[in-house]
Amino acid sequence: MIIDVNFVGLIIASIMASAVPLILASCGELITERSGVLNLGVEGMMIIGAISGFALMTVTGSLIIAVFGAMLAGVLISTIFAFLTQTLITNHVATGLALTIFGIGISAMIGKNFVGIPGKEFPIIFEGLKDTIPLLSPILFGHSIVFYFAFALPFITSYFLKKTKIGLIVRAVGDSPESASNQGINVKLVRYACILYGGAMCGLAGAYLSMIYTPQWIENMTGGRGWIALALVVFSTWNPIKILIGAMIFGGLTIIQFHMQAIGVRIPVQFLTALPYIVTIIVLVVISRDSRKIRLSTPSSLGKSFYKDN
Amino acid sequence: MNTNLKISNVTKIYPGCVANDNVSLEFNSGKIYALLGENGAGKSTLVKILSGVIIPDEGKIYLNENNLKLNSPLDAKKNDIGMVFQHFNLFETLSVFENLIIDSGEQKEGLREKIDSIMRKYNFSIDLDIPVLNLSAGQKQKVEIIRCLIRSPKVLIMDEPTSVLTEQETSELFLSLKKFSEEGILIIYITHKLKEVMELCDEVAVMRRGKLVSVSEIKNENIESLANKMVGQNLKTIKKKKEKNSSDKLINITNLNFISEDPFETNLSDINFSVNRGECLGIAGISGNGQSELFQVLSGEIISDKNSIEFDKNYIGDLNPQERREYLMAFSPEDRLEQAAIPQMAIFENVALNNYKSSNFFNNGLINENKIKEHSKKIISDFNVNTDNIELKSQFLSGGNLQKLIIGRELITSPDLLICFNPTWGLDVGAINYIHETLIKINEQNKSIILISTDTDELLKLSDKISVIHKGKLSKIMDADEVTSEKLGILMGGGN
Repeated sequence: MIIDVNFVGLIIASIMASAVPLILASCGELITERSGVLNLGVEGMMIIGAISGFALMTVTGSLIIAVFGAMLAGVLISTIFAFLTQTLITNHVATGLALTIFGIGISAMIGKNFVGIPGKEFPIIFEGLKDTIPLLSPILFGHSIVFYFAFALPFITSYFLKKTKIGLIVRAVGDSPESASNQGINVKLVRYACILYGGAMCGLAGAYLSMIYTPQWIENMTGGRGWIALALVVFSTWNPIKILIGAMIFGGLTIIQFHMQAIGVRIPVQFLTALPYIVTIIVLVVISRDSRKIRLSTPSSLGKSFYKDN
Repeated sequence: MNTNLKISNVTKIYPGCVANDNVSLEFNSGKIYALLGENGAGKSTLVKILSGVIIPDEGKIYLNENNLKLNSPLDAKKNDIGMVFQHFNLFETLSVFENLIIDSGEQKEGLREKIDSIMRKYNFSIDLDIPVLNLSAGQKQKVEIIRCLIRSPKVLIMDEPTSVLTEQETSELFLSLKKFSEEGILIIYITHKLKEVMELCDEVAVMRRGKLVSVSEIKNENIESLANKMVGQNLKTIKKKKEKNSSDKLINITNLNFISEDPFETNLSDINFSVNRGECLGIAGISGNGQSELFQVLSGEIISDKNSIEFDKNYIGDLNPQERREYLMAFSPEDRLEQAAIPQMAIFENVALNNYKSSNFFNNGLINENKIKEHSKKIISDFNVNTDNIELKSQFLSGGNLQKLIIGRELITSPDLLICFNPTWGLDVGAINYIHETLIKINEQNKSIILISTDTDELLKLSDKISVIHKGKLSKIMDADEVTSEKLGILMGGGN
């Protein structure tokens, strides 16, 4: 049997495509968490992004409005979270959970009118180069702009945190908001910004699902990806590059287990479905077990409310 | 250029407490000023006002005749007021350099050069690229000082800087401060340690209960006069009557070893000593030389070989703290809020957590609240804890009152042996005096004490015998009359 290299390339490309929403949401949440805020509302923000993107695309017909509208929707819903946790000092965990429940509920309500409507085709770039290099071409070319953005994002995030002053301030706030405040840093402003940025990225991740990956609206279509994204952040020990690795393993195993089921491998289906979750976590735990590095990259103030006393 | 800092009629009121009551003070550069007061006297509030962390209700601050508006720490920084807080304001997981660059407007390379030249000038040596959590307390403080110096401050405020330092680090700090002062930086030094004031400062302002009580030159003061001003009454000087003690051995430690798996802990090797009834054995040493491990082994938090600890003719090395208490041992750990008490629980609940087996605090699994409260009230009145509300959460007690409560809780069962670890750490003179008196009283009742402390003066005052712990090894046990603080200092540093 001759294995068609282009077929292998296509499988890899489909794995990468399935990793896109995880990378986007995780990198957004990573920035939020690095500032010390634990937002468990990722799933809710993603689904809001998904319905907003799809609805705006259907109503306005403009893909640009739809994509940015989805990000804006993510920002708006995360503003609720930011206002509650930063201004009214509510508990991060409870507020985040409420946000997810809220997002799922409201998206189902808005989405009622959009069920069964076909989506629009999203433009892909470098389409002409698709057949130039065997194996590599399907991986490198012919994807949406969001796809390329997602694969650049972990590196941008890493550079931002390590090399820029604002990145340093974000890490400082996550390490010790009290010290940061005493240094004259506006902790609430930084945390607001990080939460809103996380919301925008989750909104984009949702829009990718409903507009590009499977262009249609299905109720609850994020299907737990928000929770996987959250787990990726923690198990990658707040390292964007490891998020990329984790998202690829997760995406890869999800695709491969589909194929295994299709071929009829005699392994219980339930086990195959659970495989991506288990393997991703095991791999991330193994590559991040240096306790010194964990200590250095874990935001010490994660999930703790900050209020100034004077 | 001369710097003149004036505080004029500053008042800050918190609900139920006047932290600063119409305080006016004036400072001039070239001198080191001490701001002295007990815990809660208002000195920390005053310096937080100077550094913009707290905004006063009334009053003005003038720097060289300019009225300063200090609404945030940033304002203080802009006006060349640098402050080193008692609790470090550092980002533990960031590197030293990242900590320093975060609030400076300078470019990376320029800043690195500047830091290097500061470190050369004052003989600091710190690796800029390691995370702050790997530094010792003394090094962390130096990072804080460098952070202030980068901005070439006119005023440098140090808030109780020596509470976390070893003696060696303290003398290094004093040298640097004197150098800064010679270079024209105005230094305000906040403390409640009288010896430091006498050693370092030129002028001293004493605060008590939010009010300024006196400003004077150091050469007109001595330790007793300052102590009296600080406490507001004449302190008795306590002295221990050194008697010939009995030779009745109470506790005997033989060949005690402890090997830790944690690389940050110190191993104990071949510890041997004994304590007679009515005797106080002091264990001196620089912190981090195995004191904490020794305390845990003695108290039963770490269990050792059964035969290594003989107490009142029983072998108890393998018993846990609760079982050891049954044999009339009592413990007062170092960290009051972390180890000795649960800060979120009420006073009487904290009392109930102790001795729960021998007492009848519980009936059939239910809490006998009346019994516990009665018992707690007795502790509070017997041991002079300054509150009558036993339902108060213990985190709201001052350090001194909490320590009295803890010691009281241990002593009310009249144990044969009290093991305490830094019992007066961070307390003010009044509370220290009380604790010392109590410890002396225990010895007079023919009970014994093992006092592990980093405070050499305290050890010389209270102990009958003294040993020094260095890198997990005990020196030979000496008669307290025969040792001097110099000799202890040499042994603490690992000398002979």
